[in-house]
Amino acid sequence: MTTSPTEQHAADPDERRSGTSTVRYVAGKVGGALVSLVFVVALGFFLFRMIPGDPLVTMTRERPTGPEQLAHLRERLGLDQPVWQQFLDYVGGLVQGDFGTSYMHRRPVAEMIAERVAPTLLLVGTATVLAVLLGLWLGVRAAWRRGGMFDRTQTGIALALWSMPQFWLGLLLLIATQGVFPSRGMTSVDPPDGFALQALDVGWHLTLPCLTLLLVIYAQYMLVMRSSLLEEMGADYLRTARAKGLRDDLVRRRHAVPNALLPTMTLIFLQFGMVVSGTVTVEAVFSWPGLGLLTYESLRGPDLPVLQGVFVILAGSVIVMNLVADLLYRVVDPRVRAS
Amino acid sequence: MTPLLELQDLGVTYRTAGGEVEAVRGVDLALEPGETVGIAGESGSGKSTVVASVLRLLPKSAKVTGRVLLDGEDVGAMRWGRLRAARWSEASVVFQGAMHALNPVRRVGKQIAEPLRLHTGASAAEAEARVHELLAQVDLSAAKAKAYPHELSGGQKQRVMIAMALACAPQLVIADEPTTALDVIVQAQVLDLLGRLVEERGIGLVFITHDLSVLAATCSRIAVMYQGLIVETGNAKEVITAPRHEHTKALAAAFPEVGDPVSRYAPATAEPLPEEGERDPQSPVLLSARELRVHFRDRAGSAVAAVGGVDLDVRRDEIVALVGQSGSGKTTLARTLLGLQKPTAGGVYYDGGPVPTSASGLRDYRRRVQLVLQDPNSALNPRHTVYESVAEGPRIHGLDADEPGTVVAALEAAELRPAEQYLTRLPHELSGGQRQRVVIAGALALNPSVLVADEPVASLDASVRGEILGLLLRLRRQLGLAGLVITHDLGLAWNIADRVAVMYRGELVEVGPVEQVLLEPRHDYTRALLAAMPSPEPDDVWPAG
Amino acid sequence: MSAPVWARRRAAAVQAWREFRTNTGGLLGAAFIALLVVFSLLAPLLIDQDGLNVVTATGSPLEPPSGAYWLGTDESGRSVLLLTLWGARVSLLVGFAATLLSVVVGTLVGVVSAHFGGWISAVLMRITDFFLVLPALVLAAVLMAVLPKSMWTVIMAIGVTSWPTTARLVRAQTLSVESRPYIERSKALGGGHTHIIGKHVLPSVLPLVFANTTLVVGGSIIAESTLAFLGMSGPEISWGSMLDRANQSGAVTAGAWWYLLPPGVAIVLVVLSFTLVGRALETVLNPRLKGDR
Repeated sequence: MTTSPTEQHAADPDERRSGTSTVRYVAGKVGGALVSLVFVVALGFFLFRMIPGDPLVTMTRERPTGPEQLAHLRERLGLDQPVWQQFLDYVGGLVQGDFGTSYMHRRPVAEMIAERVAPTLLLVGTATVLAVLLGLWLGVRAAWRRGGMFDRTQTGIALALWSMPQFWLGLLLLIATQGVFPSRGMTSVDPPDGFALQALDVGWHLTLPCLTLLLVIYAQYMLVMRSSLLEEMGADYLRTARAKGLRDDLVRRRHAVPNALLPTMTLIFLQFGMVVSGTVTVEAVFSWPGLGLLTYESLRGPDLPVLQGVFVILAGSVIVMNLVADLLYRVVDPRVRAS
Repeated sequence: MTPLLELQDLGVTYRTAGGEVEAVRGVDLALEPGETVGIAGESGSGKSTVVASVLRLLPKSAKVTGRVLLDGEDVGAMRWGRLRAARWSEASVVFQGAMHALNPVRRVGKQIAEPLRLHTGASAAEAEARVHELLAQVDLSAAKAKAYPHELSGGQKQRVMIAMALACAPQLVIADEPTTALDVIVQAQVLDLLGRLVEERGIGLVFITHDLSVLAATCSRIAVMYQGLIVETGNAKEVITAPRHEHTKALAAAFPEVGDPVSRYAPATAEPLPEEGERDPQSPVLLSARELRVHFRDRAGSAVAAVGGVDLDVRRDEIVALVGQSGSGKTTLARTLLGLQKPTAGGVYYDGGPVPTSASGLRDYRRRVQLVLQDPNSALNPRHTVYESVAEGPRIHGLDADEPGTVVAALEAAELRPAEQYLTRLPHELSGGQRQRVVIAGALALNPSVLVADEPVASLDASVRGEILGLLLRLRRQLGLAGLVITHDLGLAWNIADRVAVMYRGELVEVGPVEQVLLEPRHDYTRALLAAMPSPEPDDVWPAG
Repeated sequence: MSAPVWARRRAAAVQAWREFRTNTGGLLGAAFIALLVVFSLLAPLLIDQDGLNVVTATGSPLEPPSGAYWLGTDESGRSVLLLTLWGARVSLLVGFAATLLSVVVGTLVGVVSAHFGGWISAVLMRITDFFLVLPALVLAAVLMAVLPKSMWTVIMAIGVTSWPTTARLVRAQTLSVESRPYIERSKALGGGHTHIIGKHVLPSVLPLVFANTTLVVGGSIIAESTLAFLGMSGPEISWGSMLDRANQSGAVTAGAWWYLLPPGVAIVLVVLSFTLVGRALETVLNPRLKGDR
């Protein structure tokens, strides 16, 4: 039997393509993320020039200030320079890790941000991991027995949680558990001695904020997983798997779920911005000393340099997360590798 | 001897929102070991439901009556564990549409090995060795085991499906439209492969298809299904050469034999064709391509010539068939002729002058040269009534003089009579053939002089095919309408075309009168295409057993 | 010929309504929203606005529920029930106005980028992706922080941050419509951009946009309350600003659940209603979700 020209024709490009296109794909994604980062930096600067009036007025509104003092302050903050010069200085500063100085605390913004990173990572990390596990598990179970009792209750609960402002849920939990859990901060005023006890103390404080964040985000994950598994369930290859004699749970575990997991994963990463937004309100409710609380405080001020710094950092981290998701997706899904 | 598979008075009913639908009624069929039985039928005839009922793969909404005996054992009475054990190890399926029937994110080697490890308890190493053996049997290299489905061509995926079906050495294989989406040449290879396997291993094969000519070349017995019933059954040769049932006759006529003078200029149509009038052999050239090239960039960024230097003329009062496999560039050529795709080099000429590129010039040009698409199901906006769809062209061109009159006349010309009865219908209320007529009417409403038809009957049921081809031929004979018909089907060219252009890898390798090109082909590729056509010659039937 | 066209559209609408009616959740949600909208429009006639004024309020601060004040009072002695009822006006207005802004921008960007393709699409999608991944709440809050605080700024800030989802959805839908052969047929008939967008793309995209719109309204109402909680709101009474004041005035530590619960429950009910209506509409209007789901 002769191999037809078409057969060779179709097989050829696949083998030739893979090498060069990986580089192109990665370069494209990284380039896109860099453009977004530049956008964020520029937006961070120009947004704060939109303020009607003089930033110094906002800054000094509670304290009577003399004209010489004002002039001095203006010079110290570089506000007497032309806008483009200010922008260049700002970008130059960012590159060197200089985010300016807080109006309210007279401290470098970079320093204030740095000390808030760890608590936020602890809170967001714990809540996200738990939410992914819970959401995916519930989503799979609900989809597989679609329309059943479990599906209806779980979907109902998820929809109700999805319809809730996060901070309100936090406030409710605070009122409901009044006195059982600490209401503010990450550690007790007088922290206990020893690492184990300290860790326990932090865990104790972490419980409520983590629960709040978890409840709000798992609902999304569950709904996404449920609908993407439902989407897969009509697929022909599942019929093939059944025809091969696979047990129902094997068909689900080996064929349906891995396929449904791929789109779900991208969506989870895409919704990282939502998690960040959630962090701001949850940290504000529980006075958790992270970046969210810093955002809240600088909004209330308003402490514009801090706000500017936090904005760039939060938006930047979301962009980086998305880049990671894009690159990971290519590793995990063989179809993306080829197209 | 117990038959391998026996269907006794099988009936399947689906519960739907609109009530109960009987998909299969009173089907009796038996298959001996080593025998190949074909089931022929159009879409909706119930043939795929029969496949699913053998392994109890029907959806929950289906109610089964009668019995399915697999090697004497009633499938309906099996417990789940017994059923799972019987699936694939006693009977396996080559599913329709390998693209979707394979899991897109698992390597094909793993998918072939899966039933092996499940049913025979083979170790990973044993399974791998066996997978390589199976791949070799279907003429694929062992390296393909590491490939994902999307990395394989259509023919290769189909071979993987076949390898998978053979994994547990079942006595019965059911092949559901195994060659439908494939090119003629690849189809011939797959048929050859299946035939060889049946012969070598003595397995029983149930072959399901809508294409009677494929069955002719493969089966010893044929059962023809129509609306859930088996309307005719018998020896393959007898069914094809002397069909008794009306439906079988229609199916048989849909696949004419190239070279048979009876089917030349005679598609299977119920309405008589008008007599051929006086024809001017030197009628003026309407549409032509000169040195036409279209290049695309592939994913790696290098240029690929989809159309590489084509010269083609279409004259008034003639039908030209553009023949080639998928990927040969024939659809790109058609789109370029219509001005839907910009040529990289060369030009398209209409009535002696170059086709304009300005928006308004192009619009005027499009009144003259019209398009008929392959799939009438999607070529009509599902929200537009027949009237709106047909009136769309005249409205775009501002021809508002007596719009209802134009629409009715176009529908009548496309043989939808009485036209008034169709005006307010929506596409989903029409049959496939009627939809294609509406598409043609939409083109005729602009009173064009050339019709470019891209696979106009490829997605229609066999019995409708002849009617649409008859319409195209009638339009030429009555109105002098020129046609460029793009097709992979040489039988179609034999049925209606005057000249044939054979396209291969972006170039026209052979152009000439139908009789000359198809009966005395000069180019190797044309010969390969002709050789790959399943021949209804009964001597070619595989020896049974 | 237009009479049958309209008759058919009416029949399609009746059919859609018939299908929608079978969805209990969607029906309940729609009824609740309709009731609330009518009430909000009539509120100035039904409610004595003196009770909303801090100066003329008659109750004592943070009174628990009683016969006189069914849902207690706030820190200025105003009736929480009255405030909650009145707050529906601003919350709904912000929700609807921000959604309108977001949907108009999103639909425009989505259709234009999908239809024209090429560099227009590349630029528009780059911008959409950028806004899509930004933490919307943070951006909206920053906008509020640098602009004068008013209800209109809130609407603008929410609208500006929520259009990308609609743009993505509309773009995907437009691309899928434009890949259908009937668009190719329409081009071959000589149809230009306006013809194709107006006759084929928009009629099939808009129903989905409509379903999506109801979901966006819910999101906008939550966003309004969250911004208010962060101190970013106008002076008007809304459910969000009530919750902010409750939090600021120590209602939590005082255990004044009657001050916290009503506005929050109102938000959940309204958002849930919009969500249920949106999901019901999606199943009715999106043929892909129909059938066995």
